[in-house]
Amino acid sequence: MEIVTELRSVTKRYRRGDELVNALHDVSFTLGASEMVALVGPSGCGKSTTLNLVAGVDRPDEGQVIVCGTDLAAAGEPALVQARRHCIGIIFQAFHLMPHLTVAENVALPLALDGRRDPARVDDLLRRVGLEHRRSHFPAELSGGEQQRTAVARALVHRPAVVLADEPTGSLDSASGAAVLQLMDELRRQEGSALLLATHDESLATLADRVIRLRDGGIEAVL
Amino acid sequence: MLLRTFFLRPVRRRPLRFVTTVVGVAAGIAAVVATISASQAAVASLREGVAEIAGRARLEVTAPAGVPEQLLGRLRPISGDALVVPVIEEIALVPTLGDAVRVLGVDLLVDAQVRTLELSAKDGTPLVVAHRMLTGRGVLVPASLASRLALRAGDELAVSVRARRETLTVAGVFTPTRFASAWDRVLVVDVALAQELFGRQGRIDRIEIVPRSGVDEAGLAAWARRLLPPSVRVEAPAERGAASSRMVRALQFNLTALSGVSLFVGAVLVATTLATSVVQRRTVLAIARSLGSSRRQLALVVLAEALAIGVLGGALGVAGGLFGARAALASVRSTVAAAVRGVPATAIQLSPSLAIVGLLVAVLISLAAAALPLVEAIGTPPVQGLTSERPAFLRRPSRRRAALLAIGLLALAAALARAPAWHDLPVAALLASMALLGALLVSASPVLDALARRTAGPQGGGGAGTPLRLAVAALAAGRRRASWAAGAVGVAVALAVAIGTMVHSFRATVVDWADQGMRADVWVRPLTATTGVQVGRLDPEVVRTAERLFGIQVIDPFHTAEATMRGQPVTLGAGAFAVVARRGGVSFRDGRDSRDVFATALRHHAAVINEPFANRFRVNEGDTIRLRVPGGELVRAVEAVFFDYSHQQGMVVIDRNDFLRIYPDDGPSELALFLPPGADPATARDTLLSALGGRFLVEALLNKELRDEVVRIFDRTFAITRALQAVAVAVAVLAVLTVLFALLGERRRDLALLRAVGGSRAQVAAVVAAQAALLGLTGAVGGLAIGLAIGLVLVKVVNLQSFGWTLRFLPPWSALAATALLVTVACFVAGLAPALAAVRMHPSEDLREEG
Repeated sequence: MEIVTELRSVTKRYRRGDELVNALHDVSFTLGASEMVALVGPSGCGKSTTLNLVAGVDRPDEGQVIVCGTDLAAAGEPALVQARRHCIGIIFQAFHLMPHLTVAENVALPLALDGRRDPARVDDLLRRVGLEHRRSHFPAELSGGEQQRTAVARALVHRPAVVLADEPTGSLDSASGAAVLQLMDELRRQEGSALLLATHDESLATLADRVIRLRDGGIEAVL
Repeated sequence: MLLRTFFLRPVRRRPLRFVTTVVGVAAGIAAVVATISASQAAVASLREGVAEIAGRARLEVTAPAGVPEQLLGRLRPISGDALVVPVIEEIALVPTLGDAVRVLGVDLLVDAQVRTLELSAKDGTPLVVAHRMLTGRGVLVPASLASRLALRAGDELAVSVRARRETLTVAGVFTPTRFASAWDRVLVVDVALAQELFGRQGRIDRIEIVPRSGVDEAGLAAWARRLLPPSVRVEAPAERGAASSRMVRALQFNLTALSGVSLFVGAVLVATTLATSVVQRRTVLAIARSLGSSRRQLALVVLAEALAIGVLGGALGVAGGLFGARAALASVRSTVAAAVRGVPATAIQLSPSLAIVGLLVAVLISLAAAALPLVEAIGTPPVQGLTSERPAFLRRPSRRRAALLAIGLLALAAALARAPAWHDLPVAALLASMALLGALLVSASPVLDALARRTAGPQGGGGAGTPLRLAVAALAAGRRRASWAAGAVGVAVALAVAIGTMVHSFRATVVDWADQGMRADVWVRPLTATTGVQVGRLDPEVVRTAERLFGIQVIDPFHTAEATMRGQPVTLGAGAFAVVARRGGVSFRDGRDSRDVFATALRHHAAVINEPFANRFRVNEGDTIRLRVPGGELVRAVEAVFFDYSHQQGMVVIDRNDFLRIYPDDGPSELALFLPPGADPATARDTLLSALGGRFLVEALLNKELRDEVVRIFDRTFAITRALQAVAVAVAVLAVLTVLFALLGERRRDLALLRAVGGSRAQVAAVVAAQAALLGLTGAVGGLAIGLAIGLVLVKVVNLQSFGWTLRFLPPWSALAATALLVTVACFVAGLAPALAAVRMHPSEDLREEG
């Protein structure tokens, strides 16, 4: 299986006041094309830090983070931008939609930032997430589930190799959460994207091909 | 506790926004205080100087061409009840000072009982000083002037009197017992010497009457009037000062109104800051509401911040205004000296009342600007209601309501612009300008909204356009604050455009007027002061010399004297109509050829009047006017009305021969030389100057030199307006900075998200910088349109009502476009700081999930 993401001996420390906190310590794992891997563990175990490193919005203190063949730990800003534009899609717990853009505009944002325009692709994804009729609405006019479906469409619009999802159902009720997760899994399979899912909900992890359990910044077990 | 949590802590954490707002208010207050201080100093010296120099005199006897000396004898019957003293007061030039001085001629034997001047002990006893004064062309010099010119008793002091070089001897140095500034530029000589210097043999300027203790002033005045002929006036000295102050009142009012616009921009900045701070603390305010804070407590927080901004901004502004006033004084002195005869003050003293008013205005403006943010703060629901609240940007502004309000304000402006002056002041016209600015502010929010609607979202295209579209969308989302910033920019641009249009229209009109009206080949006038204003007159000997050299048929001496029309002082001018009838050169309102006008006026003994006179007294071509002049009444038909931008109190011009039958020949204020065709003006000038030798201090300007001089004086007079423009623009840029940093704080997550979904640092910076440029551009375009409208009001209404001048409306299009572009670029450059801050943000921190 083609490896689309690989972490090699990654360590990440944060300074909290005078104290140096090990957010991740010597973490290594791989993510294959179309594979779904769940990162599970209690709050503060390093799940979000791992996702931030893979997203290229943060850099490790030690080790390598290789995404689509690029070591993001050593890459310059242009390479990081290119990785995010072509290789990575992100879904957040709090949706993080642009409040002043409509649903369609939010979905089109990653393409627009790359100088591309593909209305057919946007329409297609909106249809597939069931938000065609909501395309001109603003996020504040949507339910939580609808907002997260918009975020899913946005994460997939540029056909990324890896989709990162950080507690994607954390802000939703259980029914909406389950529906969004199912939609997310279905779409990324159709698109052929790998999914790295961070969650503290063990039940969500059952959908994953592999589960990596984190504790205190280190890998406790791979299931 | 509430204040500490919601005001002091946020200010400590982010002091920049608070500081920029305080600086903005301070700049506005400083502009107002500086302008008022400088113009008050310049004007007050004319008014207070009259009172101070009059000393204990309570009444004075005056006449348009001076009081015949023998009237002193007629007042002998009242000498038991009052002291009666003769005074000559004239203007002379001290070449080494480059400035004009008042020369006060008094009767040294009795004057000590009227004015108290402390003589320097170093110069000898008063008797010794008096001896020098009476025998050696002595002059008393104020200590401040003596120190500046390094003069001591016995030194010689050269002065130019009626363009004649005269040498006086310093008899002593005096220190005024009070109001030193009123005496700053006063030389005291014996009345006989003053008569000799100014050619007033047999005449004095006024007789001062000092009642003895217990004597009724009104009764004394009535008695004096009975003893004197009806052609002289008996009135309080203050009346003379009041006439001067009336003339500059309009000037002062307009300058103050212009500086007030800077304050208006400052108020918009305060409103922007407070609104921003309320929006940023909305969640915190909502939590406070949930925990039991009353609306009153939240209101107190907003008002406390406004109060702090007002007090600090006011205090800084008053201090800054004092420094600014020193810089503005030179310009204001020129303006005032051009408007009235006198010697404006050279020193600024900030009056405590102005300082208090400045502080109060700052506080009131800040509190008034807090009104809308206050409504927003007390409208904050408890935190439970906040999440279900519809975002502000989804609440579309009622475009129809805003449009109706804007149209209403425009209609109000049009109506006010047509209203007549209020007590000779263009109050309604300036209110019209305010209504226009109001229309600008009202329309800012819907314009931004419409702009966002017309600009598609990010899917509208790719590449460089995406940041721009995102910027438009972000501005529309935060349009409540953005519209304040755009409004502040708009107001500043409107001010700059309006003043620029007014000054350019005025300048172009004056240049045209000078080109058409100044046709003589050589102009001769007394040396001018550094203010650019002519001091005194030409000695009649200068005229006689010119007549001998070039012949009477080419010489046009222009005389001026004081007369009254319906009790109001006006200038009576006189020229050689026969000469001007041959050469022409004056622009008349009805478009007639000036040669024809002067020939007819000469034939019929008619007068021509200037436009300010026609407007002030509502007199037109063909009407008959009656002026009070020495010896009675002068009745003349008005042949025509000419354009004139130099005598704003109104001027009637008659033929010189008629004039010299009424007034003694004190010499003309200037002399024009119309050379025969082919004659070389430069040679003629050299011939005249060499004939005058070193006896006279005159300037002889060729035609082009004089026209250049007119423009130079004009530019210097209006220099202060440029400073006011700069202050307003600086305050507007501060407003943009404040809003951008606020929007940045509010939109940190959005910008971090942009980075996370593939936006580069350059794109994020471009989004922020584009917002700044858009705010600048929106404000600049609106400001340009409204500024032109205000310019029209200033040119066509304010100038006419204030000064009686008709100007052409000539906007300097390229300069206006450059101003709008410059302001947009300034806003863009100001936006680079928040753009840089946006680039330095860490997306991982700003996207950190709660819980």
